[in-house]
Amino acid sequence: MPTKTLKYDTSNAKSLLREVAERSGQNLSACYQCRRCAAGCPVGEETGVTPDRLVRMVLLGDREEALNNLLVWQCVACYTCGTRCPNNIQTARITETLKQMSKEAHLAPLKPRVADFHSAFMQAAGHHGRFNEIEGMRIYEIKTAIKDLKKGGVKAVFDEMFAQAKLGMTMTKKKRMHLKIDKVKNVAEVKALYRKAKQGKGE
Amino acid sequence: MTMELAYYPGCSLHASSQLYDIQCKMVFDNLGIELKEIEDWNCCGATAAAKTDDFLAIALPARNLGIADATGLPEIMIPCSSCYSRTLVSQKRLSCDPELKNAINAELGQKVEGKIKVSNILEVLRTKVDSGEISNKAGKKLEGLKAACYYGCLLTRFPCDVTVTDDVENPQGMEIVCKSLGVETVDWSYKTDCCGASASVNDAEESQLLMSRIMKDAAARGANCYVATCPLCQFNLDAYQDEVGKKYGIDQRLPVYFITELIGLSMGFDPIAMQVDRHLTDAMGLLKELKLI
Repeated sequence: MPTKTLKYDTSNAKSLLREVAERSGQNLSACYQCRRCAAGCPVGEETGVTPDRLVRMVLLGDREEALNNLLVWQCVACYTCGTRCPNNIQTARITETLKQMSKEAHLAPLKPRVADFHSAFMQAAGHHGRFNEIEGMRIYEIKTAIKDLKKGGVKAVFDEMFAQAKLGMTMTKKKRMHLKIDKVKNVAEVKALYRKAKQGKGE
Repeated sequence: MTMELAYYPGCSLHASSQLYDIQCKMVFDNLGIELKEIEDWNCCGATAAAKTDDFLAIALPARNLGIADATGLPEIMIPCSSCYSRTLVSQKRLSCDPELKNAINAELGQKVEGKIKVSNILEVLRTKVDSGEISNKAGKKLEGLKAACYYGCLLTRFPCDVTVTDDVENPQGMEIVCKSLGVETVDWSYKTDCCGASASVNDAEESQLLMSRIMKDAAARGANCYVATCPLCQFNLDAYQDEVGKKYGIDQRLPVYFITELIGLSMGFDPIAMQVDRHLTDAMGLLKELKLI
């Protein structure tokens, strides 16, 4: 995949670097572009963006690219990059931070299903305090189906439902489906943590 | 003498990977370790919290840590790699950030003290190999199994500086346990590579590509099964192996055993009681073929 030329935005560089460094807790300036992270990244080939590029985007102040690239969405959080960094930069924390900033900037996710899955997971985990697979998948499937239908993607909805139903049937046959909903008794305490998280973001 | 360990099963072990929960209890009980499931635990937030909310990523495991500290037990074992990683990271972060710790503790009935030792399943099992207790209890040699020990990401790689209990790039814990059961292990290159985790649901192309690399190497090294400790790694290879194999032209379909299944078999437990028949890629056939059951 060809690499895009990054824009050097002098007015933006300092503030973007400070924001990402503070939120991720990572010293991005320590990166000397050795690209060991890139060599270890399992999704770099497909995304065309590797962790070293993310660092460059931030250092150059290219906010648009930094918040809107495939690695931010397709990073599988395997933490290989950070483990191999000779300067101990946890690049995956940078990816996580940029993903959150992208959402706060209301940018449309490049991988809507990834965004929907994470949000469905958090919603389901917050509901009863424990993640229920059936509930989580239901929220996720509804979110993606609505988006697909808006785009006129009836086939995409059908394919997704078919794949999930097939897996669901195999799991049922093998007694791997559990219909019982596991609940935290003191779910109020979990919900208080969710509220505090929202307050922290000024929502 | 019975030893007590605090125990956090996590959501998977109470749902699709319940067999792992059952096996953990059976195996540890036989080793004289009582697993005390902590009261009223909640979801650790897994990767979804890390990706979407820095506060919840620390606060959700923190609530469990508070409950675990209150048990007064010295150690908590967490079999799921993701739960283990998130809990260990939360404990580390809170030890470096008293302000955050106070903010979270203000919401909790049982406050995080940060004193309990957070352990993964291999850490605990290795001490039992070293003490000879595993070879005492698990006497049946599982000859004929050639295992590709699959660790995945989160047992040895963390997004912050914590003490890693095995070699980061070439961990050996699972091999040590397997060898003590008479299981042969293969040297291979993909033991700590990523299976795609939840990408199997939200980005199937990506996770299938990642799984195909793992499957090709395991097959090329002559493994006849995988062994895993992470319920999500196990589930992905178990549920999607056939689909990935067809797509990428890989013929082998290898059972994906939990480490607890192999220990249990060696201890003489009934495979049905351990729910080995509930795998999505057949796990009974190989054991019958090798006359291990």
